[in-house]
Amino acid sequence: MEVPRRLSFPLVLPKPASSARSPLGAAGQTAGSSKDQTGGEKFISEEKTPESGVIVVVEAPPEDGKAARRFSSQDSFSEESSLSEERLEEEARETQRRAEEEEAAAKERAAQRQQLAIQELVESERSYLRLLQLSTVTIRSNLQQQLQPPPAGLDSMFLHIEEVIDVSSRLLSLLDQKQLQSGEPDFLQSLCDSFLSLSSEMEAAYKEYLAHYNHVTEVEKSYKQKEVLWNEVVRVIKAAAPDVNATSLSFFLVMPVQRIARYPLLLQTIQKHTDASHPAYALLEQTAHTSVALNCRINEYKRFREVADKYRKTEMLTIKDKIVRLNTHSIAKKTARLGQQIKHEAGLKPKLVDEEFDALEGFFYVLENGILELLENVEMYLQHLQGFLSCRTEDFDLDMDGEKAPICYKEITTALRQWILPMFEKRMRKLIHQPLCALRDLLVGPRNLIRKRLDKLLDYEVIEGKPNLSYEEQAVANTYRTLNTLLLTELPQFNGLALQMMWSTLGTFSCLHRDLAADMEQLFHSFAQQLPHSSLSPGAFWEWAESSVLEGARRLQHLCRMVEDKLNAPDAQPLSPSSQRRLKQLTDKHGSGKIFQVMSTVVGTRDLDLNLTKGELVAVISEADSRGDRRRWLVDAGGKRGYAAASKLIRYHQPTDDPPPSPHPNLTEDVTARRRHSYSPAGNAPLPMSQPCFQVVGAYDFTARSKHEVSFRAGEPVRILEPHDKRGSPEWSLVEVRGGQRGYVPSNYLAIMPVGAGLPPNPGFFL
Amino acid sequence: MSWIPFKIGQPKKQIVSKTVERDFEREYDKLQKLEDQTKKLHKDMKKSTEADLGPISTNCYQTKNWTYSASMSKAAVKISADLLSNPLCEQDQAFLDSMTALDTAMRRMDAFNQEKVNQIQKTVVDPLKKYSSVFPSLNMAVKRREQTLQDYKRLQAKVEKYEEKEKTGPVMVKLHQAKEELRPVKDDFEAKNKQLLDEMPKFYQSRIDYFQPSFEALIRAQVVYFTEMYKIFSELTDQIDQAGLTDEQRERETEAKLTELRALSIVADD
Repeated sequence: MEVPRRLSFPLVLPKPASSARSPLGAAGQTAGSSKDQTGGEKFISEEKTPESGVIVVVEAPPEDGKAARRFSSQDSFSEESSLSEERLEEEARETQRRAEEEEAAAKERAAQRQQLAIQELVESERSYLRLLQLSTVTIRSNLQQQLQPPPAGLDSMFLHIEEVIDVSSRLLSLLDQKQLQSGEPDFLQSLCDSFLSLSSEMEAAYKEYLAHYNHVTEVEKSYKQKEVLWNEVVRVIKAAAPDVNATSLSFFLVMPVQRIARYPLLLQTIQKHTDASHPAYALLEQTAHTSVALNCRINEYKRFREVADKYRKTEMLTIKDKIVRLNTHSIAKKTARLGQQIKHEAGLKPKLVDEEFDALEGFFYVLENGILELLENVEMYLQHLQGFLSCRTEDFDLDMDGEKAPICYKEITTALRQWILPMFEKRMRKLIHQPLCALRDLLVGPRNLIRKRLDKLLDYEVIEGKPNLSYEEQAVANTYRTLNTLLLTELPQFNGLALQMMWSTLGTFSCLHRDLAADMEQLFHSFAQQLPHSSLSPGAFWEWAESSVLEGARRLQHLCRMVEDKLNAPDAQPLSPSSQRRLKQLTDKHGSGKIFQVMSTVVGTRDLDLNLTKGELVAVISEADSRGDRRRWLVDAGGKRGYAAASKLIRYHQPTDDPPPSPHPNLTEDVTARRRHSYSPAGNAPLPMSQPCFQVVGAYDFTARSKHEVSFRAGEPVRILEPHDKRGSPEWSLVEVRGGQRGYVPSNYLAIMPVGAGLPPNPGFFL
Repeated sequence: MSWIPFKIGQPKKQIVSKTVERDFEREYDKLQKLEDQTKKLHKDMKKSTEADLGPISTNCYQTKNWTYSASMSKAAVKISADLLSNPLCEQDQAFLDSMTALDTAMRRMDAFNQEKVNQIQKTVVDPLKKYSSVFPSLNMAVKRREQTLQDYKRLQAKVEKYEEKEKTGPVMVKLHQAKEELRPVKDDFEAKNKQLLDEMPKFYQSRIDYFQPSFEALIRAQVVYFTEMYKIFSELTDQIDQAGLTDEQRERETEAKLTELRALSIVADD
């Protein structure tokens, strides 16, 4: 501003222009390097107050001014010495010339300053880019390699910086492409064009970076807390960038934050030094405005992000944490909200109704519900699919190797379980389950924000009517408005996208089923054609299948009965003579179909029950008792009649063939009873008397215990007088032993044996 | 009435020839393996039909409270039923149409599945069950044979013991008694043995004719089912899905949507 007052600027216009390259280049360089230093200082101060970056930038132009001043002061000496005497005459001319000179010089200076300003923008952009690249490439890799283990979260510090570098290098390359010198008027135009064309990308890149920057400082803070680690980090940084006085990572990482704020200032500086008549002036003005707007939008975005970040996360607090967090402020806040809500519910105060928001909110909840349900059902489906897969139905061996159908079935099922269904499952998981899970996870943010908005709304309602708000109240109102705006703008997008996703998921679901069905159909069809009955029409086939299955079942049943009847029947033992007699008697009386055998000994417990022994034969008179109880049958046990439990009776199948041939066919088979314990010589069985080839002998020694009994020795022949005692019990027999002694002996101490079997017959006791 | 206890000894005489015993063992082993396999197949079939359609015994359509989600088929029906009852459908006609189509398809699939499972039940699962129900009586018969064999051996040993002894009167009596006891047991065993040796291979052989129709029916039922399913889902896919996307394209599309969603400030991106 003071510069134009020095009038003595030589008319050597072409000189600086022609030799522009060397001095200006040098000036540019010195300016650049000095700027680096000031930049460095500034950045250091910046670290403490990141928001004040703007102030320092303004200090840069005076430096360039100083350089310019140096030129002009040198020239002014020669100018003063060449003053002529004819002052008056000259005066007018001089003044005019001076005015012209002045004007020209002013123009020249303005042009020079403009150039310098432009130069500065370009040069600072270059060095900015260089430092960014240095930090992301060299320092980052050095940190990763030299620090073992690499510090946690290092990658997250450099998260969005690539985009920033990219956009910056593109800006520079656009400028370089034009191959224009910074002095040419077109250059300004191309600069503005490049800036404008990249502005939206710039916004996108810087927006994310700035929103993320808080995280960067947090991570660095965590590094600083570990002294050893931090010293190492600083050492690496210093080694990698010795030319700049960098002592921390954020020295570099804060650069984009400052840079984006500097664009408007640099552009405004250029604008200030540009004549309004400059062809690119309008464009320049627009560019400057754009850069300002860019910054505003980024700030707005950052603010939204901060609010959203603050509230969208679900806080995982233990009860203890919650209690610790309680204080009068929070209690007052909560109580006020609760009070407000109660007032709403009670209708004391009208609710602040936002129909648009309510509709969005309602839709969101419905959608959320739908997504969660869908996910749950899909999970259930997959679970059952797993269950289905775990049934190894092909893994059987019925030893039917020669048969087509089972082989086909095995091959089909193997294919099914080995690849078709696993493939289907994999696709289900990948294309349906995973996206749904991801979508479910994304629901958390909006849900929390909607809840928080209600809280803030309640706060806001209280202060809404107040004419002037305190600073805190202002903050509350702002938070509410931000949240509301945020939700109103983004919730529709969210809803729309989520619904689309759900929809396309269902489409995929259908498509996967179609593919599965196609695979399966092909597989089954190809095998079905190999089957012996493939030529049958479906109706005929099913008729055949069902009838042959029924036939098989019938045969099986037949076999089963046969096995049970023949093999499982109580030992089809030859009957004792008394049973034979009973059988004959019963068969004569009731017919062979009515004969049953007692399976195990029954002791009667109720009136009219019979005591029956195992193996006894009975004839069933009625398959129910007098009260119609079908579990109790009326039976005839050879004279005695009474009831017996139906479950103990089994049909007696009379041997159809003759009894096994016995050595003496004219004898009834077993004169000895089947059961070892009962010797029951049949009363009317052919007695040994008529057939002297059999002899009754004592099987064991028996000593009489009273005068009614008689003693004998094993092997001693005896003669049976009566095969029972006086009361008819067959357990005792009246016998006559050697010597004519008579008395009772236990029947089971006696045995019958053929006479010719080698027993030395007692000559004195022939029967 | 005391009974002189005597030791059960092994008879010296080979009462069942080694070949017979080996044949018997082989046949019985085969049957036992068959039994295991039949049971296993029956169990797996039942389990897989249940995973496919749900427990057969409780027909889900008839009970008032639909016991949904008891199987794959029911879970699939539940997917569409829940969506159809979601208020989302009230807001968007196109969505409602899609969901109605989906639901119709699912129900038709379920109905066809029901039919398929019924057929399989009738021609495969039930016969399998019936077949495995024969084994207990067979096993019992084998057990009886074994018991008889033991009796036979015991009595044979007894006879042999007496035969070795000096032939005095009492011994002769006992030998006679023992022989008398042995004879019916021996006959019984031989009859049983013969019958089992006869029946077992026959029964084993019967499995081929028995199961043949089952397997054919199993395959045919699936052919019908999947043909129908393919028709249903082709129609549905034409209606509600973008045609002809590869899995990668779908994944990319999903990923793009998710990225878009994550870019929103209201969405927590971690």
